[in-house]
Amino acid sequence: MKELFQMMQDPRFHLLYGITQRFSLGPQPQRVRLNREGCRLVEGVTKRAMVYPNMRLAVHPNPGKGDVLSPIFGKISDVSERSIFIDYAVPDEAQRQAAEAVEKIDLLATKETGAELATLLKRMGLNTRSLGQDCKMLIINGLNPDPGVTWAEPMLLAHQDTLRAGLEMLRRLSPAQRIVLAVPKELRLHLNEVEVAHVPSQYPASINALVVKAVTGKENPEGVGIVGLHNVWGLGHIAITGLPLTETVVTLGSREHSGNYIVREGSLIGELLEFAHIPLHTGDTLVRGGPLRGESVDNLTRSVTLGTAGVFVVEAGTIPPMEGHSPCINCGACVLACPARLSPSILSRNAEFALHDRNIDENIFSCLECGLCGYVCIARRPVLQYIRLSKYKLTQAAETRRRVEEEKAAALAEAAKDQGGN
Amino acid sequence: MSATAPGTVLLAMSAPAYWHCGRTIRKIDFYAILGCMPAVVLALWNWGLPAARVMALSVAACVVVEALSEKLMGRDLAIDDLSAVYAGLLFSFLLPAASPWWLVLLGAVVCMTLGKMVFGGLGASPVSTPLVGWAVLAVSFPLLLDANAMQLHTDFIDPLVRLKFFGAASAKSIPLMDLLLGRQINGLGAGQVLALFIGGSLLAGRGIVRWQVPLGFFLGVAGLAALFQMLDPAQNASPLFHLCTGSVMLGGFFLATEIGNTPSRPLPMFLYGVLGGALVMVIRKYGVWLDGVPFAILLANLTTPYFDMIRPKPFGGRR
Repeated sequence: MKELFQMMQDPRFHLLYGITQRFSLGPQPQRVRLNREGCRLVEGVTKRAMVYPNMRLAVHPNPGKGDVLSPIFGKISDVSERSIFIDYAVPDEAQRQAAEAVEKIDLLATKETGAELATLLKRMGLNTRSLGQDCKMLIINGLNPDPGVTWAEPMLLAHQDTLRAGLEMLRRLSPAQRIVLAVPKELRLHLNEVEVAHVPSQYPASINALVVKAVTGKENPEGVGIVGLHNVWGLGHIAITGLPLTETVVTLGSREHSGNYIVREGSLIGELLEFAHIPLHTGDTLVRGGPLRGESVDNLTRSVTLGTAGVFVVEAGTIPPMEGHSPCINCGACVLACPARLSPSILSRNAEFALHDRNIDENIFSCLECGLCGYVCIARRPVLQYIRLSKYKLTQAAETRRRVEEEKAAALAEAAKDQGGN
Repeated sequence: MSATAPGTVLLAMSAPAYWHCGRTIRKIDFYAILGCMPAVVLALWNWGLPAARVMALSVAACVVVEALSEKLMGRDLAIDDLSAVYAGLLFSFLLPAASPWWLVLLGAVVCMTLGKMVFGGLGASPVSTPLVGWAVLAVSFPLLLDANAMQLHTDFIDPLVRLKFFGAASAKSIPLMDLLLGRQINGLGAGQVLALFIGGSLLAGRGIVRWQVPLGFFLGVAGLAALFQMLDPAQNASPLFHLCTGSVMLGGFFLATEIGNTPSRPLPMFLYGVLGGALVMVIRKYGVWLDGVPFAILLANLTTPYFDMIRPKPFGGRR
């Protein structure tokens, strides 16, 4: 009904694109930019140091976050608070030997399970937080996350060797008793290795909370975890290659082009677009992530990370421009589109006038951040951005309150102790 | 140097969603005006140049008044969103074709100022913009807004006058075809019942107006009309008669669905429509006003905040 009478007649919202071509290999990067936020650099990783593929560069203190490993031969050109830049350099003999000496680990043959396996995988660069999360039932979200992202079908149909390896590893890693693979209901998938659940395939059906609801019939049930197919692919990829994960799958797309590539982590967006022959003009918007939920990036030297779903060019003139001051006119389109049954119109207006506290009563934390409110807004308001701002401000305020109360409690305890001493 | 080398292109930063359905305020209003076009054509057919005069004057006045108000308020001009054109057209639909120029002008000024701009512009007014102008004129100049008194040079008759003063049998004698094709004394556009139905249905089918509101509105009118007729067939006309007279078609599809003063969820929209429709019949049966649609919709508009309180539990609230 919604599709018929309302605004979502966009065929791209049907998250099944009939694309089953195997992934192409991306370019050999000339420069990479790795994210090192929160990581501790390994000794010897400094500016002008030479690196080789799969060399460990930085370690994250969180056991669920993968280490940072070099994807290419090269020389570190800069190390900042947030990033490590590596320029490609032709390797000398010593580096070649070092690269070849990187030990291949046959993960499928190892005996480790659970936390031990997670530690091993972390050292291989994999984020294991969602894969190894503590739950009774683990759902693998096998839908394309955003409209326009097309790698899910090839992962399920054309790269089944990787998928099988990933599933086997997941079974050892996850404490869940039951693992379910959620796929679009129109997809004919025959896999004996895993229980398959068929779920709706019209966006926003790929949002994690909605997939969980489609599989279990409940909203936010206890003991159910969900993990992206992208992550399982990464797990399968390192199980097959035996080498750390320095590659990821992205969809590179524009209005005319679309393709799925296996690219090196940290590849610069500019190089990727050039490789995929996607032209870019002044005034276009460049999006990292999905076209509905991603982030707009300001220049071509930004890079893709392991979690990036895709890179999209939205050509100037293909959508009505966002023109700054645009008050809400109460048309109610976002209310009809919202899968969380909220009123994005009111949420965004409260955020606009910094009345964030009011958004608590409007259940802002039920928002699934699907981006449909902005997609249907006829006034072209940045609705999701307003909601994210409000959520951020509220979280920040709660954090401050908590800290103040802790300090107060500590001061009181201190005072009580002093009095007791007298 | 290729186009994707750094520094050669300037990217536009934006906020999600980066794709868009393509609908803007201007497009929505453009389609809504297109939806009015069948009625405009039939109005010209039935009432000739006087109708064109009223429509053109009303639209022009609304646009100019909105522009002046925006200038006065120190805002950016927003007349290119076509909402003033649409409001002006709907306002003229309610007037008799023989209205004097100053009446049209006065009404248009009241519409745009009291009905829209004092509240802050599009979507901020609590009640329907064209109806505010109509209501002010209707209480100030009841005779000039009475189409039956204004349209003397015509063979058409006013079906609601027939019903009120000559009984249901007399009303029944008016051929249905005359009512549908606008051969009745009424507002110049409000009487073009079939044309409004076609235009309105297309808009509802495309989701420009939400179908729940007109459906509820017509069910409200027809339901109460059927009840009245069952109780006393000699005094009360059929539901079909009521749907085809006055501004019911115009009200249900175009006036009651105005952006900003209708509820936004499906059930509240439907209930709001039913309330509006039922009020029409109550006013027609017990009130002094022949038509009842404008005041019924104005009253229903006021209940919108209460209908908006009917809302489902947010995600995670249902177990």
